[in-house]
Amino acid sequence: MSRVVSFEGLWCVFEHRSGQLVNALHDVNFEVQPGEFVCVVGRSGHGKTTLLRVLAGLQPPTAGQTRLGEQVVEGPGADRAMVFQQDTVFPWLHVRENVEFGLRALKVDDEERKRTTAHWLEAVGLTDFADSWPRELSGGMRKRVALASAMAVGSDVILMDEPFGSLDYFTRRNLHDVLLDLWEETQKTIFFVTHDIEEALILADRVILLAEGKLVDDIRVDLPRPRDEDVRASTGAVDITKTILAHLGITEEEATQV
Amino acid sequence: MTSTDVLDVRAKAQREKRRRRIASIIYIAIGITLFFVAWILLSLEVSPWHYDIPPPFGAVGPFQDILNGVWGLFQEEGAIAHFWHNLGYSQDMKIKFVHACPDLHPSNVNNPFRQVVSSLMGWKYTSETAALTGGPLPVPIGQLPDYCYGYATHLVVTIIRILLGAAFGTIAGLAIGLSSLVFPKVAQVFTPVASFFGTAPIFIAAPFFVIWFGVEVPIMTTIGLVTFYTTLLMYFFSRRAAENIPVGIVESALTLGGTPRSIFRWVYLPGTVPEIAGGFRIALAGAWGLGVLVEVLGIQVGGGHLIDIWRFLIGQLQAPSALVALITFYGVLAVVVDALLLVIIRYLTRWSEAGRRLGL
Repeated sequence: MSRVVSFEGLWCVFEHRSGQLVNALHDVNFEVQPGEFVCVVGRSGHGKTTLLRVLAGLQPPTAGQTRLGEQVVEGPGADRAMVFQQDTVFPWLHVRENVEFGLRALKVDDEERKRTTAHWLEAVGLTDFADSWPRELSGGMRKRVALASAMAVGSDVILMDEPFGSLDYFTRRNLHDVLLDLWEETQKTIFFVTHDIEEALILADRVILLAEGKLVDDIRVDLPRPRDEDVRASTGAVDITKTILAHLGITEEEATQV
Repeated sequence: MTSTDVLDVRAKAQREKRRRRIASIIYIAIGITLFFVAWILLSLEVSPWHYDIPPPFGAVGPFQDILNGVWGLFQEEGAIAHFWHNLGYSQDMKIKFVHACPDLHPSNVNNPFRQVVSSLMGWKYTSETAALTGGPLPVPIGQLPDYCYGYATHLVVTIIRILLGAAFGTIAGLAIGLSSLVFPKVAQVFTPVASFFGTAPIFIAAPFFVIWFGVEVPIMTTIGLVTFYTTLLMYFFSRRAAENIPVGIVESALTLGGTPRSIFRWVYLPGTVPEIAGGFRIALAGAWGLGVLVEVLGIQVGGGHLIDIWRFLIGQLQAPSALVALITFYGVLAVVVDALLLVIIRYLTRWSEAGRRLGL
């Protein structure tokens, strides 16, 4: 059952080695409706990953709270599965066993576990590689394994922390399509952290902009799907891009140079 | 790239593999040659150790058989022939064993220092010490059953003791090391203890084990020491292996609904195998030396005791052959056990890059 995700007065303060206090999150407040695809965009070190880790329950907030429906997030759980930026597929388990991991932990019976695993392996196109070792797969295929593992546990919310950042352009585009297909099929709420504005435009319903830990804008992306090159070159898309760049403190000229 | 190019690449790889194999054989040959050169130099008349070290090849050297051809090893008193003839019960060995362990002169008994030393030295001292203190009497050598007068029993007993000690120690070390990840209190209690004992080389602890447990109960002394040593090593290796598992993998398991139990079973246990297996190889290699050392210090039955007896009988013509046979036996045994271990490690780590390089 999908639930509303709420961030209420969220602060996260870290103490730097020098003793200086750093506000990773600065009074963040917003709500996400069930089934929304939200991209969290911001510069490096401006609190995107911290926000996701707080929602995952891997990082306790200094003040404020995160709620999933009525339930306050107090620790990690299978209702908020996360796909990480780094490779977190278990190298000692076959592809099939990787997808089964969460189901085993949740004590799903054998028959149901096998059926669910087979379904998600097929959904990400890895049925033929079910008995392979992760070391035998490419980087993109390993990301698909991570995605299938997260989907298989039946989370309400999927958290993705720059999951495709280390992949080449073509693999990334292919995985965008796989992810959007799965999202449309399951209607899960997806939080997707990225610093790539084009990626946010391809994927998101909403873009949450973070700068120095503060929520500086909440932009609704009402572009038609699928968002091919033409859609991304449309006036609406260009306006959103300009808004994001302005909030991030980057001029169009700088963005072109980058 | 054409098929001819592919064949060229393959042929080149095969040539490279052959070259490496030949190089490793050459290195081994150079190592063996250097060993014998050093031996010959030490046994020369100009050497200060001339009287202690016989030349490797010659009338009194252990390798005199080789001068008569490789088959010399298998003939008369060659090392292999000697080992084979005395593998089971041997009247000749019985005579030698009894000769090597005569009764102790009573003058040694009332000296407290001698009593301490006696527990380090062997049954002949402890028998009289035990008689004075009312402790259990060890079996006098003359009353040992006949199967003790041959190599086989002693060597099998040593192998069993060391493997048992290593197995107990590995189980204990892994249990403590891995459970300390789930229960930090275990680490808080055990790490200082392990660090304290870990700073002293285990060979220094060996005589103390002989004193504490005595030679009357070799199970406690040999197996106990090997267990203690393996536990310490495996504790450190399992801790380090678990700490080397990337935090991201554990966090990923947590967000997939992983419980402490499932994370232990599916993450820590398989993920630590490569480092733990490497640690076990090191621990077992040390355990052979340690187990035999303790037996040399005074245990009546075991491969170390055989070495002690032949050390006592070093002036006899058979001694060099016997010692060479024992050294060869332990060398071959260590290589065989390590090879078996490698097969198991290859299977357990077939998922890793290291496992792939090992051939799977």
